[in-house]
Amino acid sequence: MQKKRISKLPLMFMCMTLICTILCSTGIISVPVFEAAGQTFTVGFDAEFPPYGYKDDNGEYVGFDLDLAAEVCKMRGWTLKKQPIDWDSKDMELSSGAIDCIWNGFTIDGREEQYTWSVPYVDNSQVVVVKSDSSINRLEDLKGQIVIVQKDSSALAAFTGEDASKENLALAKEFKQLQQVGDYNTAFMNLESGMAQAVCMDIGVANYQIKQRGSSFRMLEERISSEKYGIGFKLGNTELRDKVQESLFRMKENGSFDEIAKKWGLETSVCLDTGAGSVVKDEPVSSSDKTADGENKNGSDYLSMFLQLLDGMKATLIIFVLTLVFSLPLGLLLTFIRMSKFRILQVIAKVYISIMRGTPLMLQLLVVCFGPYYIFGIPLDDSYRFYAVVIGFSINYAAYFAEIFRAGIQAVPDGQREAASILGYSNSQTFGRIIFPQMVKNVLPPVTNEIITLVKDTSLAFVLTYTEIFTIAKQIAAAQANIIPLFAAGIFYYVFNALVAFIMSSIEKKLSYYK
Amino acid sequence: MKLLEINNLSKSFDGKKVLEDISLTVEKGEVVSILGPSGSGKSTLLRCATFLEKMDDGELSYCEKSVVKSVNGKAVYPNKNTMKEAKSHFSLVFQNFNLFPHYSVMKNVSDAPIKVSKRQKEEVLEESRRILKKVGLEEKENSYPCELSGGQQQRVAIARALVMNPDMLFFDEPTSALDPEITAGILRIMKELAKEKMTMVIVTHEIDFARAVSDRVIFMDGGYIVEQGKPEDVIDNPKNERTRNFLKKLSV
Repeated sequence: MQKKRISKLPLMFMCMTLICTILCSTGIISVPVFEAAGQTFTVGFDAEFPPYGYKDDNGEYVGFDLDLAAEVCKMRGWTLKKQPIDWDSKDMELSSGAIDCIWNGFTIDGREEQYTWSVPYVDNSQVVVVKSDSSINRLEDLKGQIVIVQKDSSALAAFTGEDASKENLALAKEFKQLQQVGDYNTAFMNLESGMAQAVCMDIGVANYQIKQRGSSFRMLEERISSEKYGIGFKLGNTELRDKVQESLFRMKENGSFDEIAKKWGLETSVCLDTGAGSVVKDEPVSSSDKTADGENKNGSDYLSMFLQLLDGMKATLIIFVLTLVFSLPLGLLLTFIRMSKFRILQVIAKVYISIMRGTPLMLQLLVVCFGPYYIFGIPLDDSYRFYAVVIGFSINYAAYFAEIFRAGIQAVPDGQREAASILGYSNSQTFGRIIFPQMVKNVLPPVTNEIITLVKDTSLAFVLTYTEIFTIAKQIAAAQANIIPLFAAGIFYYVFNALVAFIMSSIEKKLSYYK
Repeated sequence: MKLLEINNLSKSFDGKKVLEDISLTVEKGEVVSILGPSGSGKSTLLRCATFLEKMDDGELSYCEKSVVKSVNGKAVYPNKNTMKEAKSHFSLVFQNFNLFPHYSVMKNVSDAPIKVSKRQKEEVLEESRRILKKVGLEEKENSYPCELSGGQQQRVAIARALVMNPDMLFFDEPTSALDPEITAGILRIMKELAKEKMTMVIVTHEIDFARAVSDRVIFMDGGYIVEQGKPEDVIDNPKNERTRNFLKKLSV
């Protein structure tokens, strides 16, 4: 800037300053304004990965990694520039020189050859949690057991991912089942009630959960995988790497590294120098996994996707058919109770129907599944999961069918009952030969509605981690970062429902011989 | 023989008296018509006699066998088997036919004898055809009620009643839901039955028909039997004021 012109152009200066400030602060252009003060160190990070780097409530970029970077810059006299990046274009950002490094809970494992790495500074290992009184003590003991992981988690990747170790892949094959759940609460409910024997997760999450849930759980000492975070530099850029690393070592020595770790609750998870990673304290439960980048799409994936969806389809069809088989007769029984001469029975049926229709089906499924354990203390077996799904759907749909049947029965004119009475039909004959056939015709349209709803409601079985088509579609979609499985599931539901509608309208047509 | 004997029948709906101290006897082979303005209780009387309504108090016998007894001013009904036996003595033809819509004409007529009376299927089918022919519907045995006219449906209903071989037949305004030109056909069938000495109790508004076929006419009003006797007495020379008013209104 030429200061002698300032007096003549104060307004222009102010405008320029304002524009520059806006542009710089919004990150639209990157101007080396403070070049004179020293080198700029641009750190690339995903702004959605707490506690390593994220946007806080004030809109500031903060985090463990950013604090470390700031401290390095302070020591070196550099200027820190925090550059949030789109995770998918991190390689482009790095190789183009737009950023100097990726410093953001960045997993080394599996990427050793792609970047020039600093030494690891955080250990985020995958561990196994079991019930305290479990007989499982080593990874080997997991054979033949039901093991739970969170969807799209590092633990899942450790067992089934492309970078999974041979030992883990082999071990996972020996599991009775590797189940995926949406959240850790569900996982621990399954573990506690006996429907699963182990849950695998990040060590930090494990420590947090065990601390929250008390002494009824413990962690195996043996680990599934050791996941380490490092700072990634452009391949070959050892000069910058060495400088940063040296500063980190000095920070470790003067205690500022551990101080920052403590500030972010990561003091037991850092592993700089010693390499000993033990415990993370209050790491947030959300563990978006950086290893599963969704880069694995090829032709055979579509075949395997199709086969998996086919399995899910079978599972969906089974619960659909069984639910109908049980809920239709149960609904009829409920109708009889509801229409009984005895007031007390009527009231019981009314209350039952009102509860079943008045509370979410999802909640009912959870109660049916976990109620026996949490209410009556009956330890559950994994095989109960399937029964719970069928029971849950059946008792819910029975309530709806009961009301439909009742309306269908009441729509049969009194004259029919009277004519049957005059002719001497018994009560059961009157119902079986006269009322029921006419009721069936009356209820066909609303029952068709219910059945179509049931087809779609089967997807709610996911809350009990029953893997029907929708659950599988979501899992594949998450694993492959691909929307096609969901789309395929949608087509399945549509075609299936079209079939149901066709069958029902055929029955309706068949019954239209009389009015 | 007294086919039907009712003594001191009373019935009320929601505290409103509909029938009051009705006594009525029907002899074998007798044709009895019940006349009266709407709301006079004649349909309710028929429904009580056929067990579609429960009487509050009174006694009822079929073929001189007691069915409903009066105990401490309350009607007491017998067990299922006795009821079933009592029901076998009569049948009822409804104003609205009440055919079973999901059954063919043949099945409407033959289902009860086969399933309720446990009679031989072949024999029932044969008799059903004979009776359908008698009511002029031999061509329609495979039709469904919705394919028939009102008059045809009522003929099926009569056939259905006859196949049960009842000792007596009740008719509850059998022609009220029909057009006049169709009414004649139904009345002709009933006249035929009367000629064959079928015992019948008919609630009707067809004065001329009642005069022609009835051995006895009962005039009801306000839940009471106001007047009864030979048709030429009750219809042509009514003694009671209310009977006269009613008949005057009908003649226009």
